[in-house]
Amino acid sequence: MENTKDYDVIIIGGGATGAGTARDCAMRGLRTILIERLDFTAGATGRNHGLLHSGARYAHTDPESAVECIKENIILKRIARHCIEETGGLFVSLPEDGLDYHAAFIEDCRKAGISAEELDPTEALRIEPSVNPAIIGAVKVPDGSIDPFRLTTANVMAARMNGADIMTYQEVVGFLREGTRITGVRLRSHRDGQEREIRGKVTINAAGIWGHHLARLAGVDINMYPAKGSLLIFGHRINNMVLNRCRKPGDADILVPGDTICVIGTTSTRIPYDQIDNMEVTPAEVDLLLREGTRLSPAMAWTRILRAYAGVRPLVADDSDPSGRSISRGIVCLDHTKRDGLDGFITITGGKLMTYRLMAQEATDLACRKLGVDRKCETAQVPLPGSDNTDDDRRRRAHIIELSTEQKAAEERHGSLTGRIASNDDAEDALVCECEQVSVGEVNFAIEELHVHNLVNLRRRTRMGMGTCQGELCACRAAGLLERHEKCARRTLNDLASFLDERWHGMYPVCWGETLVEIQFTSWLYEGVCGLDTDTASPIGEQPLH
Amino acid sequence: MKFDTIIIGGGLSGLASGIECARAGQRTAIISAGQSALHFWSGSFELLGQAGGETVITDPLSHIRQLDADHPYRVIGADRLRALLGRVPGLLADAGLKVSGSLDANHLRLTPLGFMKPAWLTLSDYIALDADAPMPWKKVALVNIYSYLDFYPRFLAAGLAKKGVKCHMGTVNIPQLDILRRSTTEMRATNMSRFLTNEAVDDLAFKINEVAAGCDAVIMPAILGIFSDEPVERLRRAVKCPVWFIPTTPASVPGVRCQLSLRDLFIRLGGEFLPGDTVKRGEITDGRLRRIFTVNLGDMPLEADNFVISTGSFFGHGLIADMEHIYEPALGLDLNVSKGRTAWYDKDFYAPQPYMTFGVVTDEDFHPSFHGRTVGNLYATGALLAGFNALKEGSGAGITLATALHAASRITGV
Amino acid sequence: MTLQQQNISDNNFESCIKCTICTVYCPVTAVNPDYPGPKQAGPDGERYRLKKPFFYDEALKYCLNCKRCEVACPNDVRIGDIIQAARIKYAKSRPSLRDTMLANTDFVGTMASTFAPLVNFTLGLHPVKYLMDTTMGIDRHRTFPKYSSTRFESWYRRKAARTQSLYSRQTAYFHGCYVNYNFPQLGQDFVRVFNAIGIGVRLLAREKCCGVAKIANRCINEATRDAELNLRSIREAVDNGLDVLLTSSTCCFTIRDEYPHLLHLDNADVREHIALATRTLYRLIDEGEVRLVFRKDFHKRVAYHVPCHMEKLGWGIYSTSLLKMIPGLEFVHLNPHCCGIAGTYGFKKEYYDYSQGIGRPLFDQILESKVDSVATDCETCKWQIEMSTGVPVENPISLIAQALDVEATMKANGVSIPPVAD
Repeated sequence: MENTKDYDVIIIGGGATGAGTARDCAMRGLRTILIERLDFTAGATGRNHGLLHSGARYAHTDPESAVECIKENIILKRIARHCIEETGGLFVSLPEDGLDYHAAFIEDCRKAGISAEELDPTEALRIEPSVNPAIIGAVKVPDGSIDPFRLTTANVMAARMNGADIMTYQEVVGFLREGTRITGVRLRSHRDGQEREIRGKVTINAAGIWGHHLARLAGVDINMYPAKGSLLIFGHRINNMVLNRCRKPGDADILVPGDTICVIGTTSTRIPYDQIDNMEVTPAEVDLLLREGTRLSPAMAWTRILRAYAGVRPLVADDSDPSGRSISRGIVCLDHTKRDGLDGFITITGGKLMTYRLMAQEATDLACRKLGVDRKCETAQVPLPGSDNTDDDRRRRAHIIELSTEQKAAEERHGSLTGRIASNDDAEDALVCECEQVSVGEVNFAIEELHVHNLVNLRRRTRMGMGTCQGELCACRAAGLLERHEKCARRTLNDLASFLDERWHGMYPVCWGETLVEIQFTSWLYEGVCGLDTDTASPIGEQPLH
Repeated sequence: MKFDTIIIGGGLSGLASGIECARAGQRTAIISAGQSALHFWSGSFELLGQAGGETVITDPLSHIRQLDADHPYRVIGADRLRALLGRVPGLLADAGLKVSGSLDANHLRLTPLGFMKPAWLTLSDYIALDADAPMPWKKVALVNIYSYLDFYPRFLAAGLAKKGVKCHMGTVNIPQLDILRRSTTEMRATNMSRFLTNEAVDDLAFKINEVAAGCDAVIMPAILGIFSDEPVERLRRAVKCPVWFIPTTPASVPGVRCQLSLRDLFIRLGGEFLPGDTVKRGEITDGRLRRIFTVNLGDMPLEADNFVISTGSFFGHGLIADMEHIYEPALGLDLNVSKGRTAWYDKDFYAPQPYMTFGVVTDEDFHPSFHGRTVGNLYATGALLAGFNALKEGSGAGITLATALHAASRITGV
Repeated sequence: MTLQQQNISDNNFESCIKCTICTVYCPVTAVNPDYPGPKQAGPDGERYRLKKPFFYDEALKYCLNCKRCEVACPNDVRIGDIIQAARIKYAKSRPSLRDTMLANTDFVGTMASTFAPLVNFTLGLHPVKYLMDTTMGIDRHRTFPKYSSTRFESWYRRKAARTQSLYSRQTAYFHGCYVNYNFPQLGQDFVRVFNAIGIGVRLLAREKCCGVAKIANRCINEATRDAELNLRSIREAVDNGLDVLLTSSTCCFTIRDEYPHLLHLDNADVREHIALATRTLYRLIDEGEVRLVFRKDFHKRVAYHVPCHMEKLGWGIYSTSLLKMIPGLEFVHLNPHCCGIAGTYGFKKEYYDYSQGIGRPLFDQILESKVDSVATDCETCKWQIEMSTGVPVENPISLIAQALDVEATMKANGVSIPPVAD
């Protein structure tokens, strides 16, 4: 199957940056295609805190990033309302932190234009009762939470609505070149192993840490060092405001409330490049996260941990340092014509989830220059699909009139897109995932409109299987619905088997207490009652090719 | 309060030994901390489905020699196992549960996802296929209830297609279930079964007949007969071809039926069933358990000549894991577990999981030990025992029942 | 010391492993599709309410607070408490006049017993029932408990108080609203039985309604005030070396468990001294301290109904064991099942049909059992069963009093103080 379309831009990488770049390019009228090796958000985008930084965390150590963050913070609150919860954040000082950093911190925030209100510890405890009562100082900042899955999906939808093509489960295995110019990519499908070629005038490498390998495939060197960060998800919200330690950024010093859960993180360890597809949280990391986390909020000592996960931050070597040892700060947008004499190739990396839109803008600006297109970037003004109501009518209505719990939950997840979720009769309102309140209508909506081919995709689009039971009750129901679309029982059963294995991978690092009870119960049901076993569980989809 | 025998745990194992003790005229009590894993029962009991890497069909008892020497089956021995387990169909019949199956050969049950698994005893309305014979049907109707999500006709059809059975899929609806549909969650098998009585069953049968025309059999989710056989019999009378049930994911109708039937039999035999109570400690002196204290009964202990502990594995809270240790919470019995939490699990979900084999240390008569000393008037049974992986072996119910009946026979001398 | 202990979060709500067993045993789910069921209303809903209070679902009001979900839960999740606590914390509407009236059992009781004959007559009138139905939402089919013209407290002061201090052993008695205003006979039976075994009965310094109705109707401030007063009186009695006994399983459960769980009142210092009369009586017999002698001419076929809160307390075995000691009593076992009244719930017009639907399987069992009477430890179960089956319902203590050979029992326990007259 040959895609003969001639694209202006090929974007590699379905994280927030790639999706954001696809949206920007498409909005500027470029013929755009977004290519993702696995699923959207399968990399670092889906494996972080989901923190909507105010910039305060960087105010002391990296003022430039702090300014970028607060600017993007304000933009995202405008364009991505349905992905964001304006929880507010606290930076708290514990006795062992002292108050020196605290004083400098407030000053640095003000300099960066971040509102930072000093609170009396008693007042801080009143507005956020989960915080360690031992605190000696607190500062309130406009931190919040952002759902990276929703954000990326919304960018993908916006790109598609503006004419972009989207391909998932297609891995770039080579580049097409004419002389010193990259003219396209060679893809291999993760579904059927077939290869195909796509042609485009400019190719943008937005593949995060995997961009290191891609650049090498293209014949250029960008040194990236993978830094692993581990996090723990708790079963419910302990806190309703983001909690930070007011000290030099370190391990396990941020607790973010996100949707129904909360997340403590992170650790930070450099890992060998060949390990980037084998993320695993070690017992030592779990211990560290809990030891430090309980200082921030003691409730972590008695709250059920649902799972552990780890992501990889790409640390990019600074081009200005010939030794290659210093790491560049902030966004890195490389024009490989200038840098390496390779035409038609751009790398966008560094940065953070918060600045994904700005990264997309820089990469698109560069692509436009190369293509001789003169169109202004509008991504900071135009709301994303889901946040595109001119007033807050729908959301306000959700709070006032008596919606059912799952309708409220869907409203929170899909914003103004909720209207597309079929709710014509009781059968469509029935819940597939009871923990996260995902209805049959929402599952069907995700399958039909949000590029869902397997249960992991469905989980990322809807939160199905992300709740307390980690899929015990809903995985088979969702598989039943998915099979109606995929029409292959064997493949869906394989998918179901590997979905449970995927859930287990996040559970075994924290496998004690109720988490162990839950997984024993899940095993009895699926292996015992249902007879699912190793023979059926040949993994599909999420495994990288090499 | 004094009893002849007290059983800690009200699941399949506890009920089986409780029934046998009460039947022998003993004053017996069962303390049950919440409902049991029996609620997720498939409708089939397994004896031994896998041994030595092979699927076991003929003469499962002869395969126990392939198991480890400290496996409960090896400890009991094939002959005694045959004698003990031979009593099970009768025991179930006394409780009003009709089963088919034999100790000489496994049959195959059809799982909710369309797989065939070896089984020993299967409830009379559930599918039990002869492993060697051709399939009994050429064409079956897979009938689901409108908007019900815990039945998977397409997976079943794929499984049956492999055996050459054609499947016709249909969905039926009767207005009596609309009341449940109004809730987004309560369209559950157990809830439906409460509404499917009397005329509702006739209406359902009428709809099923429409869908199943020309089929040899109807296969449908197990949504009838939670409290009695009557609705099932009524349906079978009204549907024009044989009807078979597929168990559903939790909670299962046959599971609740089995639990309640066994509990009622125990009470009919004079047993005291204490629901919703948890044993918090016991007094063990000179190798004997003297008395136990529970959460509800507070400072009024329960005494008995003999005790049986059948509290299950982690699910039943027979074992509890914290971040560093695993312990037996009721009596603090000695355990056979690996040290350190990384040794509790395998990273592959489908690999044999070490934690599944954890349990209490016992002697060859299933007396557990406490601080290294055997407790002579206490027996451990069922999933609380160490040394087997019921899931991988397909041996859960067999071990549960065999050890329970062993304990009861030692206590009663019957 | 590990970094994570066993889960000790409020109500254990996150111990829920989504097994759905609670939904099998919820009596409301079976009759009312608007109730989300214990799993959704309890632990599932709680995660969402913690996220944003706007996820609170008003349908939680359909919960009976029977706690059968908690008895069934294999993971010790306090599902009923989660639901009641959420109603208290999040419900927006204020209790109506009707609910406030139903909740104030002791105030209404005081008024009603003062004018008992008139009230009983009036409450029985069809026009009045019609009026209460249409204007207040109290279902017209409901039979009101009769109010007694003599309160138990007055009877006690006039007839019993004088001799109680003569007994070498003493106990305190929390009689509750029902004994005081509606059915003093049960209190009198309690005094007679305990006197016969040589135990004097004292009332608490002051006693208010236990609060079960106020909690159910979300009159939380009033409930807390009453509960604090009750706990003060109970502490005083316990400090004087007395245990506090009750003849109502619901009052007993409320004071022991709902005070700490729902009103957040710490009763740990006295909780073990608060018990049901049948438990204490059983203990005394079991430990050989007292002996009951029964009459030869007592014959009754009796079925025991475990009230929901009794099932939760786990003390049904004491009541049934005592009943089984009575030689002339033919004991019939009933499968545990909620009767559907749940205190004031069944009085409300909007719940009447649910209430009767919930109790139906129990009523059928009772009618099939052909018993002379039903024994139970809860007064509201009594109203419901009597109204719905016509079979008389009696407290086990009353049955013991009927069957007791008082003279022989006094003799067996070395009691010579003359028994209290009617």
